[in-house]
Amino acid sequence: MDSYLLIPFLPLAAFFINIIFGRTLIKDKAHWVSILAVFGSWVVSMMAVAEVLQGKTVNADLYTWITSGGFKVSVGFLIDQLTSVMLVVVTTCSTLIHIYSAGYMHGDKGYYRFFSYLSLFTFSMLMLVTANNFLQLYFGWEAVGLCSYFLIGFWYEKKSASDAGKKAFIVNRFGDFGFGIGVIMIFLTFGTLHYIPIFGAVNGMVGQTVDFLGMQVDLPTLIALLLFCGAVGKSAQIPLHVWLPDAMEGPTPVSALIHAATMVTAGVFMVARCNPIFSLSPVAMDVVAIVGAVTALFAATIGLVQNDIKRIIAYSTVSQLGYMFLACGVGAYGAGIFHLYTHAFFKALLFLCAGSVMHAMAGELDLQKMGGLKKYMPWTYLTMFVASLSIAGVPGLAGFFSKDEILWLAYSGPSPVGKLVWAIGTIVAFLTAFYSFRLIFLTFHGKFRGSHEQEHHLHESPKVMTIPLMILCVGAIASGWVGIPSLLGGGAHFTEFMKPVLGHLEGHGTHAEEWMVMAISVVAGLSGIGLAAFVYLREGDLAATVTQKFRFVHQVLWNKYYVDELYDFIIVRPTIWIAKNVIVGVTDGKIIEGIVNGVPELIGRFSLWLRSIQTGMVHQYAAVMAIGAFVVIAMVLLW
Amino acid sequence: MTLNDLAPLIPLMVIAVSSVIIMLGIAFYRSRAFSGLLTLAGIAVAFITLFGVQGTRQVTSLLILDDYALFYIGLILAASFVVALLSSDYLEGRRENIEEFYILLLLSTLGSSVLAASTHFVSFFIGLEILSVSLYALIAYTRNELNIEAGVKYLVLAAASSAFLLFGIALLYGETGTMEFSRMSSGISAQGINKGMLLTGFALVLTGVGFKLAVAPFHMWTPDVYEGAPAPVTAFVATVSKGGVFALLLRYFIQVDMHAYPSLFGAVAFIAVASMFAGNLLALLQKNIKRILAYSSIAHLGYLLVAFLAGGVMRVTAVTFYLVAYFITTLGAFGVVTMLSGKERDADAVEDYQGLFRHRPWLALIFSAMLFSLAGIPLTAGFIGKFYIVAAGAGSALWLLVIMLVINSAIGLYYYLRIIVVLYAQPGHSEVSAVSSLPLTGSLVLVLLTVLLLWLGVYPEPLIEMIHRMTMRF
Repeated sequence: MDSYLLIPFLPLAAFFINIIFGRTLIKDKAHWVSILAVFGSWVVSMMAVAEVLQGKTVNADLYTWITSGGFKVSVGFLIDQLTSVMLVVVTTCSTLIHIYSAGYMHGDKGYYRFFSYLSLFTFSMLMLVTANNFLQLYFGWEAVGLCSYFLIGFWYEKKSASDAGKKAFIVNRFGDFGFGIGVIMIFLTFGTLHYIPIFGAVNGMVGQTVDFLGMQVDLPTLIALLLFCGAVGKSAQIPLHVWLPDAMEGPTPVSALIHAATMVTAGVFMVARCNPIFSLSPVAMDVVAIVGAVTALFAATIGLVQNDIKRIIAYSTVSQLGYMFLACGVGAYGAGIFHLYTHAFFKALLFLCAGSVMHAMAGELDLQKMGGLKKYMPWTYLTMFVASLSIAGVPGLAGFFSKDEILWLAYSGPSPVGKLVWAIGTIVAFLTAFYSFRLIFLTFHGKFRGSHEQEHHLHESPKVMTIPLMILCVGAIASGWVGIPSLLGGGAHFTEFMKPVLGHLEGHGTHAEEWMVMAISVVAGLSGIGLAAFVYLREGDLAATVTQKFRFVHQVLWNKYYVDELYDFIIVRPTIWIAKNVIVGVTDGKIIEGIVNGVPELIGRFSLWLRSIQTGMVHQYAAVMAIGAFVVIAMVLLW
Repeated sequence: MTLNDLAPLIPLMVIAVSSVIIMLGIAFYRSRAFSGLLTLAGIAVAFITLFGVQGTRQVTSLLILDDYALFYIGLILAASFVVALLSSDYLEGRRENIEEFYILLLLSTLGSSVLAASTHFVSFFIGLEILSVSLYALIAYTRNELNIEAGVKYLVLAAASSAFLLFGIALLYGETGTMEFSRMSSGISAQGINKGMLLTGFALVLTGVGFKLAVAPFHMWTPDVYEGAPAPVTAFVATVSKGGVFALLLRYFIQVDMHAYPSLFGAVAFIAVASMFAGNLLALLQKNIKRILAYSSIAHLGYLLVAFLAGGVMRVTAVTFYLVAYFITTLGAFGVVTMLSGKERDADAVEDYQGLFRHRPWLALIFSAMLFSLAGIPLTAGFIGKFYIVAAGAGSALWLLVIMLVINSAIGLYYYLRIIVVLYAQPGHSEVSAVSSLPLTGSLVLVLLTVLLLWLGVYPEPLIEMIHRMTMRF
């Protein structure tokens, strides 16, 4: 147990060392501190995983954090099957991305600051996944959010970057508000915040209702939906998805680590962790499945037409997160976590490849100005091609196995919305393959469309960046092999392994049906790739013609369904209007002045005298106080 | 009454005597260092003598020295000690004859301590006036235009609020025939009481106290006075003066059993919600750090009132822990402002802090820690404090108030983080950042406060235990 403490605390130590000595002593050696620390926690994590594989889970309290009466919350760690998978994902991706960043961020004036934030993020994320109680989870939840906020706005000189940071922060507040209330409800229902006693007692909750704003609401449904609010914010699901594409303003390694592989999956992790609660409420499960499916479709369609290389991958992330929620919603938590795990590898890889392309293109993001890069950067091309095959669900690669498991369990599981979300999922598989390969073909094939200067500058990235790409590429190929379904002669080891925590959903269907579902998704994926090749590899302007023909649809997709504009209109503007007109109005004393001028001459004179003292405000203050006293008296007497 | 009966009052007497000694000392020998050291010594001795008071000791019907009072007096003394340390370097060169500052500081500390121990309206009022009269002078102490304006504003409005308070006390006395808190509830249950008079009396007392605590709608003076007062004095107003009054309010309402009056309960809830929203929303619009902190303190007092309204054992724990956290963070935040302030003006514009991390990384980190705590981010004392308040509120099923609190915390987070972002931004052009070297004592104090803040955030158990022991005998 004690050695497990190193897992989160090594990165924390690296944070402190870098933030304290970074500016004066360590400077451009800052990456060594962070990389060694995160590598250390990777090693210890692997030892922990080995223990868990032998069936030894740990649930231990370090010390009591808060007590009051019979209630107490400890700082403690739960290392079970679910945690161990998350440890693999977080520490592996984090280590590789730390190494990559040493090359990518080289020469940035905030070098040591970047690495200290990255270490702090890794610490927070590890605290989040190893927590054994909701309060510590909440701590990690807030802390990763803060780190994300700082890292999105890392290049704060850019207005768009600091705006994006702000947006991420504000949008997440909405979700966290629900999450916070959900945690409080859990505390009130169970009198504790520790996972094990709560999940042991959830069945006592069945059939209970609470009075919520005058309605009798089923307690498990309420708690599950409140928790899901938090997940919707953190994992960028509809309607709170708007922050994630903008978050791409941060440095690319941040996008890869925080906004693809780890933090944004925290919502999925949390839902899976709370599966005993969610499983009690069919309503909440259906909501999760539908929100996931709709988000998957919605984001994928937007991804079809965008030209910003990072934003396409960001929408792809939103879409794949939707896939994971879809899985959780139909009860296939194991499949959802399986997809989380494979997705981390291929999506981090996609982002790092995009970063490598940007590195060569001097920061250029527009696909229309790229083309033909494959001869200049063969390694980037090869790895990104493999990652795209994986996300497109080409058989044999990681993404295929996890996606297939989700689709099969959605189709054959007991969920009433299962068939519907399966159909949506299959369409999304097609769209995913299409936009992923549109990106590949526009970037790496054809002729170079940028400026001469850019063309002159094209080069493969340094080894420190390409080696992490290759390692992740191995993950994008092979990480799915731990979960080969029995139909293909594997043992579905992954879901078996997760069974003690996440249960096991049995699909009900014949082998023929299972083959059919698999065949359909493979065909969908391959035809997506084929269509992309047909449109973008041939000479001619097929894409432009189609765009012209479906101008309206293209406009809507290009403008991301106008969601940002809608929010601006119904939320942002009214808020600013109220702040400007109402609140400032009160403080400026215009309203108050009106009241004061209305009362008798005597006060008028008194206030004139007071005004002569200095600013003419004191009389207003006194008037407010008097009115306040009057209101309080009236309330007390008339209540 | 024998001499022995007065023994528990030794801590208060030490403070009073120290102020007299300094006054006499100044008559013969003026020295800032000498007066400052005497003040620190006086506070330290008073603090030590607190431990000599055994058990619960009622001294006449005016004052009680129980564990609760001792705890709060200790807190007040500790805060005054910090303010005295911070102000020593700050005052140097701002005006001549700065020695009297310490007399005033000690006197207002005494007033606040009396409040924490009082069980009677007379001691309440005397304590409040000792506190306030010294504060008028303290606020205007460095005698620049802003100071004097703030001092006069405070004087005028505080006098008005005292009038409300006195009228309220008169009504309560008229109805119950007593000024002792503990006998008041029995007086109330007697026959033939005019409920209207009684409730009006409560409401007026609440108004007077509400002014001191700067809760809405009695908060209007706060931003001006916070902005105008010298930074260490602002810290003092925000902590020592409010702490004593809040301790008294809690004792008063527990002894009178506020929960027996639903309408009074409703009025306090109204004040709590109004304070939270007024504080947080108005803070969003400010560009001056002192004003932001002023509005934030209004909001924090609103949070405190939520816990105050909760019943049960959790109430005292939540309120006390939160107050301790609030003291540490407020002293720390204003400590940073004090340290950065130049001789011409205080460092109170947000631009003064732009890029602070570049040239004063330690100060920026300390300030960030304080702001994180105010925002209630985990691992700081502020988070634990907020947790207890939410737990206390939820435990008493005060749902609406808890939801308001959660919403307001979310709003609050925004302006705290805005300052933090500025701290780490590219340095701007501000003369304030050019202050030469930082005074050593102030730096040490700030480091100590930060350590305390994190310690309470990570391992709050010892303090909680201590508060529990104190509530046991309450």
